[in-house]
Amino acid sequence: MRFKINIKDLIFGVAIILILISIYLAFIYTPTHTTMGDVQRIFYFHVASAWLSYLAFGVTFVTGIFYLKSKDFKWDKIAFASAEIGIVFCTLAITTGPLWGKAVWGAFWRWEDLKLFITLVLWLIFIAYLALRANAKSKVSKANLSAVFGIIGFICVPLSFAANRIWQQYHPTVIATSEGSLQSSMGMALGISVIAFTFLYIYLLISKVEIDTMREIIEEIKQKVGG
Amino acid sequence: MNAIKTIFLKEIKIEFRNKQMINNYLLLSVMIIASFRFAFSIIDFSLLLIASPIIWITFFFSGMFSLSPTYKRELEEGTCEGLLLAPISNSSIYFGKFLSNFLVILLLELFSLLIFFVFFSIATPDLVALFILIIIGTIGFAALGNIISAISSNLSQSEVMLPVLLVPILLFTIVISAISATSKIFEGAHLFDVMQEVRFILMFDVVFLAIGYLLIDYILGD
Repeated sequence: MRFKINIKDLIFGVAIILILISIYLAFIYTPTHTTMGDVQRIFYFHVASAWLSYLAFGVTFVTGIFYLKSKDFKWDKIAFASAEIGIVFCTLAITTGPLWGKAVWGAFWRWEDLKLFITLVLWLIFIAYLALRANAKSKVSKANLSAVFGIIGFICVPLSFAANRIWQQYHPTVIATSEGSLQSSMGMALGISVIAFTFLYIYLLISKVEIDTMREIIEEIKQKVGG
Repeated sequence: MNAIKTIFLKEIKIEFRNKQMINNYLLLSVMIIASFRFAFSIIDFSLLLIASPIIWITFFFSGMFSLSPTYKRELEEGTCEGLLLAPISNSSIYFGKFLSNFLVILLLELFSLLIFFVFFSIATPDLVALFILIIIGTIGFAALGNIISAISSNLSQSEVMLPVLLVPILLFTIVISAISATSKIFEGAHLFDVMQEVRFILMFDVVFLAIGYLLIDYILGD
């Protein structure tokens, strides 16, 4: 137990330091974009939150499979915690995107762009995932059904990631193989910010699982006492 | 294969024995088309543009109600235990129910299409292409709808939860491609012009059927 808390604190410390560094890199170190201007700086955080929502939903998908194979509630707890965090970061991605879009496209949202559309649908799917968990009748059926739904919902993630690569859309493509449109300093700022957000995600995930475990222990004690 | 056939015949028998249910579905699709007609009668619009969204939204909302009792019925009547104890695999239950859902929804859709052409005067498009699109769209709809119906039958307020869980997943997979392909067909395209959408829908048909086959054990198991 002691060891685990130390690791958690360590991750938290690393996340804080990296986030401070990435704020410095994003706002001061990197040059202003030649065509878009300062509004382009939102991109470092937008991409990082979008990446994290994919990662978090991916973790929900993988732990869902583990749960169905092993029927161990540990995996269910991680899946649920990861889905909740994923929704938070997905919300960040679909709110920071329009702020940039208003400045560059002149409109907050483009409904005809499939990348935007599919990411919004991804957000809706995992909101539905929470609704499913809230309406389950027992702990076992909650874990089973939400694992199945999380697996189905995950098919949206690769589509959302690949949408602008499949259907030539307005949304810019960042990770292009042929030619790097990013300057190297911008690429580094983006990389640091992605790593910082990933550490933050791991910290949040551990905390959320701990809180859920505590909640369960309290419920058990309550039932023992007879409250 | 025999088990799938038996489940299929049992479901079809239940659906058609209780004639009130089929009648209600048909009435519902008339109501949806009629409400679109009334809504669009007071504003100026281009019929060609709105035809395909109207058709698919009618299909999905009338089809959704026929999906909802598929598994809930078993739980309410207490036949679920018997079905699970029978010496057949869970996936044959899934495929049997999928086939019966597919047939019922397809009949409903053909009826809605008829009503649509009565209410909206529109030039008849390439019907073969339209029917093929409707059939492959319905396969995916019934395949995914069946899994979600099994999930939602175990939840409280299952009638509300079915659309909540089904709509977002169907939205970006089947509905969006089907609507785009159908509107091209209404504008005079043929099946070969919409092959990209058709491939997309077929891909999701396979994905949903595979998901149903792999995961139905875990849904029915608890």
